[in-house]
Amino acid sequence: MKRISLLAPVASCVFLVLPVYADLAPKKITLSDFPAAAVEEVVIPVPSEIFAVLDKMGNPNWKGQLRSGKTPTPEDRARTALLLGNVIADGFVAVEAEDAERVKELGREVLTLADAINVRKSVITRCKSITDKADQRDWKGVRAEFDGVLQEVRSAMQELNDQDLSQLVSLGGWLRGTEVLTSIVQNGFSKDGAELLHQPELVNYFDRCIGSMHPRLRRNPLVSQIRESLRKIGPLISQGGDSITLEKVKLINSLTRDVDQQIDHGVQ
Amino acid sequence: MKNFCSSCIPRFRFLAIIALLSPVCSAVLHATVDDALSFAYEASLPYYKKGFSIRKDAWGGDLAVKDRKAVSAQLFRGNDYWFIMASDVKGASISVHIYDDKGNLVDAESWQRGSTSGMQGPSAGARVNPKYTGTYFAIVQILKSSEDRTPWALVYGYK
Repeated sequence: MKRISLLAPVASCVFLVLPVYADLAPKKITLSDFPAAAVEEVVIPVPSEIFAVLDKMGNPNWKGQLRSGKTPTPEDRARTALLLGNVIADGFVAVEAEDAERVKELGREVLTLADAINVRKSVITRCKSITDKADQRDWKGVRAEFDGVLQEVRSAMQELNDQDLSQLVSLGGWLRGTEVLTSIVQNGFSKDGAELLHQPELVNYFDRCIGSMHPRLRRNPLVSQIRESLRKIGPLISQGGDSITLEKVKLINSLTRDVDQQIDHGVQ
Repeated sequence: MKNFCSSCIPRFRFLAIIALLSPVCSAVLHATVDDALSFAYEASLPYYKKGFSIRKDAWGGDLAVKDRKAVSAQLFRGNDYWFIMASDVKGASISVHIYDDKGNLVDAESWQRGSTSGMQGPSAGARVNPKYTGTYFAIVQILKSSEDRTPWALVYGYK
């Protein structure tokens, strides 16, 4: 009996031990050896990935970043998609500020904007969860729900064969997230904070996305304004994280704030 | 090759998307890419339990033996990442390693596993703690396989 009990854990271990082997990965590769067809496009990080880093960098004044007022529901679908991305990013800011009422308002605004672009059904459950978790002050849970909203909206749009609008939602989220990030970084400038802006491939990716959109969308004044801004931001962040100075951060903040205002209020 | 965003999509919806994206592929291939993705999520479960958030966006496709694919990712210094790759081809060997934008290997650790009683296909993982924020590349490769084209899927998690 004793013997069995001694052998049992050993036997379980043998059963559980997986056949692990090691391949020899080269220490260095030449990326230009990969033909374009062998390189997958960059996947846009979810806002939580950036907020996970910000969490480790202290406690900035998130309340100061909150926007107030009711979000409009534009007739222009491109602007609506961008605005939806903006509002989801605002949701993250409200979570960081631990403002339950604002989180709930933003959850309702997400639903209204999603309705305007025919993806309401895909986010109803998430939006209800946002309200419930905000009431419980389960901030980690709310953050996961906002991440989920973004992904559900994009998936729903891809299913509707609306890739362009799906990209605009992501772009809207990135623009508002970058505006907030640059505002925080410039208020307490540090190299570590500025380095978070080193996202050259993402900026190029968004530029390429706009370039491949339907000509009607490409000609949309708001979309072309955004592309112009992206092309100004690209060179500011392409030289490596440690070359992003306070002046560059301020410039990126001004560029993103301008386009976000146009997303919110319409092209002036 | 596809960058498919499965995003909590129920299985039938996911298959529908794959079917729409690749009308020329056979139903068998759809099923195997889907299985590879399921295995990749299964292999990432231990990291989920350790507090990693596993992205629902995923990459996948099929590769010939020795072919490689580079998957671009924007990573942030301060986060810890695990990239998990899987296939459903029994007896195959696969690998994933992470390189920075200058082509330097930056794996903090990596592993490869063959088919097991618990999982029918091989899997591989690579961890990275980025030294700087920027673009990185997950290089996926089929080292050995009995199939001409081996379906694979890649997911990643962060904390």
